Amino acid sequence: MTWNFELVAGPFKGRTGGLAWDGKGMLCSAVLEERVVRYDPVTNKADNYRRWTGRVNGLALAKDGSVFGAQEGGRRVIQFLNDGSATPITEFLDGERNNQPCDVALDSKDRLWIADAYNAQAPYGPPTAPMLPFASVLRADPEGPGRYRLNRVTYDTSGPQAVLLSADEKTLYVADGDAARGDVCQLLSYAITEHGSVGHHGKTLLNFQFGERGITGMCLDSDGNIICCMGWRKSGSGAVIIIVSPGGTILETHPAPADFPMRCAFGDADLGSLYLTAGDGGLYRAKGIGRHGLKR
Amino acid sequence: MHGSLEELYVEVDMCAPGWERIVDKSPPVTLCARDIIFGEGPVWDKKNQRLIFTDIIGDTIWNWKPGVGKEALLTPSVKANGLALDLENRILVAGWGGRTVFRQEHDGSWKTLADKWQGKKLNTPNDIVVKSDGSIWFTDPPGGMYNVGMVGPDVQRYLETQPVFRIAPDGKTLSIITEDTVYPNGLCFSPDEKILYVNCSRERVIRAYDVKSDGTVGPKRVFFQYTGPERGVPDGMKCDSAGNVWCTAPGGIWVHDPSGKPIVRIKTPGHHPTNIAFGDDDWKTLYVTNIGSVTRFRINIAGVPSR
Repeated sequence: MTWNFELVAGPFKGRTGGLAWDGKGMLCSAVLEERVVRYDPVTNKADNYRRWTGRVNGLALAKDGSVFGAQEGGRRVIQFLNDGSATPITEFLDGERNNQPCDVALDSKDRLWIADAYNAQAPYGPPTAPMLPFASVLRADPEGPGRYRLNRVTYDTSGPQAVLLSADEKTLYVADGDAARGDVCQLLSYAITEHGSVGHHGKTLLNFQFGERGITGMCLDSDGNIICCMGWRKSGSGAVIIIVSPGGTILETHPAPADFPMRCAFGDADLGSLYLTAGDGGLYRAKGIGRHGLKR
Repeated sequence: MHGSLEELYVEVDMCAPGWERIVDKSPPVTLCARDIIFGEGPVWDKKNQRLIFTDIIGDTIWNWKPGVGKEALLTPSVKANGLALDLENRILVAGWGGRTVFRQEHDGSWKTLADKWQGKKLNTPNDIVVKSDGSIWFTDPPGGMYNVGMVGPDVQRYLETQPVFRIAPDGKTLSIITEDTVYPNGLCFSPDEKILYVNCSRERVIRAYDVKSDGTVGPKRVFFQYTGPERGVPDGMKCDSAGNVWCTAPGGIWVHDPSGKPIVRIKTPGHHPTNIAFGDDDWKTLYVTNIGSVTRFRINIAGVPSR
């Protein structure tokens, strides 16, 4: 089945990033324009959701309608509150400042799962705090209104780019590795314990060639398969979207509409459309792909 | 990361004829404070014989007295930044992460002077200066909403521009002086207060504005454009009694004559200067806040008194 992508918004300046379906519209990070836009499929317009985001990339919708954003420029996760303000979430892991979060996922216990990667673009402000000597998935546990405690989750990652939880929240999927930094990229899965830890080693579902750009965005379909956007045109499989079973089998491969596919998410009324962001700054949509997104 | 004890000296370069009237070639340097993270906002309080400065990331306003050392004046400070003294010698604070301008009253309490412009929260007030008529001028760039370790509880920006604001001598009436700068940071007046200097950390430029008697300013003009690859941006800025403009900038502390021409650059190996204050009774000591330290050394020309 051929997926036909259409450009529904943009192109914005620089790459587009995180996506989050809010029930009626698709939130989309125009990372380098430092804003999050909201695409309304009824009006076919993209308006500002927030400006001056400090290079927010990954997005996660909270139960109350507020939105968490992985702020690469500020080395923190922030929360866009419903009153129009935005508040920082904790920035310290055991007293040390974390790296530059690029993706965030929220579970049913209101815990935040954070891809705390290194980033080619320096953070804002003077360099007063070094990066951590590791790039891990972190978990922010709520400790009270607006207060979170950061915990290190993974010990075998080199640069997590995207995080995803299975439908039952018993498995954590991590797209690891930044090919531009020389990492070998992988798709990893981890069994999550009752307390939110995952052990020291994940299971490798996919292992990419050196120099091949791995996965940078993921979402789940209603069957529990992982929709992954990955690759680049200069090497490897090219810029593609693959569908991976929970066990690591590649079920389908589809060409991406632009190079450097970044993130993907299901949207529209029946979660039957796949939205995609990419290195060209576009927001793309493919309708009727024969799959539906997972309703959480 | 912290100010070096091993490299406690300054050296000069870019020397123009007559630079010796500014500073000696290698004046002894004293380390005033070391256990801070990001020093800023120095101001000499002559009446109380103290230096007041902020540690933005350390979230504290500090008192420092010669022979005594430092003592916390306000902590947490909601990431306070620039400081000044008003005509009654009260401390004025550019509130940066807290997004207000506030003042310490004579009874020791703190009072907010400005927190909104036309109903919208200010950006993040960065540096502040007081004119002899009692008006308060401050820069309002957005960095305190983004910079690592420097933000307060609300990191959402609301204002379209990054103004230089003025609070009238009544202490209440807020007006915009300019909004033509990408990232206004340091500001100061010429000794006769006829010129306002504002630097821009993004464009790496110092601009000058003629100050009008009604409290507004004329069109901007470029005073000095920094170029070159050296690390650092225009930040803290003060005038000396001869009208020379001192600015922490790429590679060190630059001293410009009133035409903008560099007279000398003072390099501070091992220390990254952020802001400066003239101090001591003759106003011939230069106090320098750095990333990680506060230092001081003697200079050959008096600064404009901070009060």
